[in-house]
Amino acid sequence: MTEVSGVPVGRRNLLSDRRRAFLGIAGIGVALLMVIALDGIFAGTMREVTSYIDSSEADVFVSQRGVRTMHMSSSSLPLDAVEQIGRLPSVRWADPVLYDSGALMASEERVLTYLIGYVPGQPGGPPSLVAGAAPGPGEIVLDERAAESLLLGVGGRVETLGRSWRVSGLTTGMTNIVNSVSYLRFDDFARARDVEGMASYVLVGASGAPDELAGRIESATGFTAQSRERFSAEERGRVEDMSVELMQIMTFAAFLIGLAVIGLTLHAETLARLREIGVMKALGAGPRRLGFVVLSQAAWTVGIALALAVVFALGLGWVLGRMAATIPLVVEASSVLEAAAGAALLGAVGAVSPLIKVSRVDPAAVFRR
Amino acid sequence: MKDLAIKAEGLEKVFGEGDVRVAAVRGVDLEVRHGEVVLIMGPSGSGKTTLLSMLGAMLRPTSGRISVDGVDLTALPESKLPDLRARRFGFVFQDFNLLSALTALENVEFARNLAGSTGRAARARAEELLRGFGLGERLSFRPDKLSGGEKQRVAIARALANKPAVILADEPTANLDSKIGHEIARLLRRAATEDGRAVVVVSHDERLKDIADRVLWLEDGEFRSMSDMATDPVCGMAVERERAPHYRHDGQTYFFCSAPCREEFAAAPDRFAASAGSGPGGSVSRPPGAEVSGSRHLR
Repeated sequence: MTEVSGVPVGRRNLLSDRRRAFLGIAGIGVALLMVIALDGIFAGTMREVTSYIDSSEADVFVSQRGVRTMHMSSSSLPLDAVEQIGRLPSVRWADPVLYDSGALMASEERVLTYLIGYVPGQPGGPPSLVAGAAPGPGEIVLDERAAESLLLGVGGRVETLGRSWRVSGLTTGMTNIVNSVSYLRFDDFARARDVEGMASYVLVGASGAPDELAGRIESATGFTAQSRERFSAEERGRVEDMSVELMQIMTFAAFLIGLAVIGLTLHAETLARLREIGVMKALGAGPRRLGFVVLSQAAWTVGIALALAVVFALGLGWVLGRMAATIPLVVEASSVLEAAAGAALLGAVGAVSPLIKVSRVDPAAVFRR
Repeated sequence: MKDLAIKAEGLEKVFGEGDVRVAAVRGVDLEVRHGEVVLIMGPSGSGKTTLLSMLGAMLRPTSGRISVDGVDLTALPESKLPDLRARRFGFVFQDFNLLSALTALENVEFARNLAGSTGRAARARAEELLRGFGLGERLSFRPDKLSGGEKQRVAIARALANKPAVILADEPTANLDSKIGHEIARLLRRAATEDGRAVVVVSHDERLKDIADRVLWLEDGEFRSMSDMATDPVCGMAVERERAPHYRHDGQTYFFCSAPCREEFAAAPDRFAASAGSGPGGSVSRPPGAEVSGSRHLR
């Protein structure tokens, strides 16, 4: 590096034409912001899609054999499995829940939801209520964000499972960009779905290590049992699997935009300075130094763009948190590192054409007019 | 006798092949000593730029050898030439060719960087040179904020930054008014006299004869004896005495590029005769060889 230290020609070249620098940095910054924001929304959503599982008091989730998730799954267990599990050592309690996915409808608005049927007073219901009370017969508890979208409050009525329900209470933290979670009484749910004598999952409180208990339950019952952490990870994995291609396409599109912008910016900058590059060559600048000039300019461009993109993503996350809580944007260090690696790749690839152009400049051209 | 800074032998440069083959420089021999200023003049297309490019290690000759301070440039691999240019040559251009994004100070400092000097040492040397050239108040100015004369002084400071053995200047006064041109000429002369650098100037500017130890005439890629050349008193073109139309007036012989110039002169000889005498060999017959060494009036 000592060979190429000294006057920062690349940075000076970049900043000497403020308008061009701004356009280049802004273009790349927007592309990187798209990548970071998409990743942040994805990460935030992933955190929230498992909020029912993560906030549950259960240490172990038992499901039909082979069913390892709630999302896009259907699990059915006989209700007497609850007693069978409850008798196993290290089981503090066992409670059934019914589960289905559906839609809440009111005031011509529609919100997708996970519907949970639980026994009020037992684990399996909402972690807390911010208004109203647990559901009585014919009643439902909604997340406050979902209720807001449906223009409902406590006492309002909502359609789901083919009938109307009175909103008895509101919970919080259960609505995300994908869906919401709503809670009904276990017996209401069973009647509405005609699944009496069945449960979807059995939630289990453990007095020992959850993974060990899950193993014992599987051995004793033949059902699938997973610790809460494992169940949550499987759930996230399922949603990620379903979304990852779309995310990859969108991220790739953002990188292509960034690549086009940096390629054009560096190319235009190089073309505008071909004579000066010839002068530098004539004065004794070798390929290494000239390469460093081009690459340092690319590095400054993507570096500033990346810094701005991170700052804007954090700002966007803050704004969304206040204005649209259903769109979570979580800027994680891993996202920034991935974007930085992508930005470095952008800079390197975008610099290829200018580097070739620079290598072909004839130093003797400085004498021509 | 001072040491040789440049020695070129049998230099030849040919561009193209077959029907489009053009010999830009043909069998040129040149020796320039430390402390000497050599002015190369000649018409456009005579090969001056090609010769300068070869002398500056930017263009390889088709044949012949060039050595600078005993180093044979033609034997060096391409990869060694940039470093050699940075350390042994200083370049001064007609269009100044300063790097537009850098300040005056950085332009000179950058040249130091190319020779391996960085940081404070490089900056101090750059500042010293610029202050020496009266540019102490312009250190942080970018080229677009400098006048033509200031730009050329920065360019000369840049050329001197690495204390090179040779300074190659291409039309250094062409874009400057006469006063500034005179000043630039003095700086080039000073670089030779005080610092012992070999200065090769390619120019059409007759004023530079005043600082030159020798004036060479290049035409059709070859050096011609100045005594063989004359300047057309009507249009100012350099012409070969042997082949040029001529006219005798008042005991003197005048040479012309063409018959129309001769006729124009003949119509009013006194009008043109008064201004004759400048240019390569003047426009009148003189003893052969008298103008090969330019006279140095300017100090």
